[in-house]
Amino acid sequence: MSFWEYVGTRHTQLLADTYQHASVVFQCMVLATLLGMLIGVATYRSEWAGSLATTSTATILTIPSLALIGLLIPIVGLGVPPTVIALTLYGLLPVVRNAIVGLRGVDPALVDAAKGIGMSRAARLLRVELPLAWPPILTGIRVATQMLMGIAAIAAFASGPGLGNEIFRGIASLGSANSLNQVLAGTVGIVILALLFDAAYVLIGRLTISRGIRA
Amino acid sequence: MTPRGSGDGAGPGGGRAPDGHGVEGLAHLDDADMAERETASGEAPLRAPAAGARRISWQKWTFMPAFLVAALLATWLWFRGARLDSIAHQAVDNGKVWLALRQHIQLTAVSTFFVLIIAIPLGIALTRARLRRATPFAMAVANLGQAVPALGLLVLLVIWLGIGARSAIVGMVIYAVLPVLANTIAGLRGIDPTLTEAARGIGMSPMGVLRKVELPLAVPLILAGVRTALVLNVGTATLATFGGGGGLGDLISAGIITQRMPVLILGSVLTVALALLVEWLASLAELLLRPRGLEGTN
Repeated sequence: MSFWEYVGTRHTQLLADTYQHASVVFQCMVLATLLGMLIGVATYRSEWAGSLATTSTATILTIPSLALIGLLIPIVGLGVPPTVIALTLYGLLPVVRNAIVGLRGVDPALVDAAKGIGMSRAARLLRVELPLAWPPILTGIRVATQMLMGIAAIAAFASGPGLGNEIFRGIASLGSANSLNQVLAGTVGIVILALLFDAAYVLIGRLTISRGIRA
Repeated sequence: MTPRGSGDGAGPGGGRAPDGHGVEGLAHLDDADMAERETASGEAPLRAPAAGARRISWQKWTFMPAFLVAALLATWLWFRGARLDSIAHQAVDNGKVWLALRQHIQLTAVSTFFVLIIAIPLGIALTRARLRRATPFAMAVANLGQAVPALGLLVLLVIWLGIGARSAIVGMVIYAVLPVLANTIAGLRGIDPTLTEAARGIGMSPMGVLRKVELPLAVPLILAGVRTALVLNVGTATLATFGGGGGLGDLISAGIITQRMPVLILGSVLTVALALLVEWLASLAELLLRPRGLEGTN
């Protein structure tokens, strides 16, 4: 069976897996972005809290994903819970780090000016600092999403959802006629998803980066 | 990926790694690492800069090994007390744990060696005047390569080249070459052009400029690339088990498939400890091998 025939006959299964893959990565990324920005906002002013946040999230990123999932299984069981926890943890680092770098990089004179025209602390953060720090944060989100695409494939080994299942079905039937098609379909699907997400981020950048700082 | 990655990433994730491990992300990882180091050296501002040139805050550098020893000891004590049935015994008896650990280290060392001898010369070649037009192309390929999942790449190579450690190593090399290459190119391109012009002006040959000016200045970024490669490879080596390549992934997958939690936890803890140890050693090397002339700049 050629690859295209395989894709033709299995397209319902493949589309379902693709949808689940995209959905789990998207949801975990939303969670990681919210948590990461909260951590960034809470720690960027203090030297040691900021470096504690980046060091600890960097340590999580050093841990191989299969091992982290392996440590989560005895605690939360198989399936969706270890997948979501692992993906969210791995998604945190680039967001936290870029949020701290971005917020610290905001020109103090601008924050001072905002204070001078009577803006409250929250207004300064929401209307001056965060919009200025948004481009690096968005870059962090982009990098994290691409990374999560590959990690989500590995999470399928712990019965997680998504295209990784297609790859593991191929591994299970290694040597059979369809194994190459299955692995190829899973891998190509993930690459396509990663590129689509990347394109979406370019679009989001166009729409959300404040007009004043757009290059 | 990472980190790196890590990454990154990087990894290294972050990373790609992580790692993660996108290329842009790795640049950010390095920024923050340098900021971290600045704070580390800022703890004793009164000492003369010459005397404290290689100052390393010892708490920072002894914390990780102490933590790892404690974690490994606790796991070992717990594992000895855990009740193992025959299936669990089959997974860990006859020195299988040591074998897996040794295979893992071998996979990581061999693939990192190949990554370095491919990526660094290639990075140097791509920044020479004659090939400079190919640089954006190489960077685009490196960025695109980040989108390919490590698992899919590895399994495709297993189908193509057959089961075993060789396919795993080829996959790991391909996966880690791209971030290291991107790091090397970025390092060499980031060098102030007035410096290379000055070197040429005093009559240095192109080879002399490369050896005496460009490479020493790019050492920090190249070393960051080495660390990225090591961290990425320790992580990717866990996936070698899916292609019969051995390594600590064997213990993890045996634990998951047979539902034997002690085996799973032992495999995972050993993998995590190895990854953290490798990262620690690499960042130590990064700090000690930095050229003395660059100490002041960072």
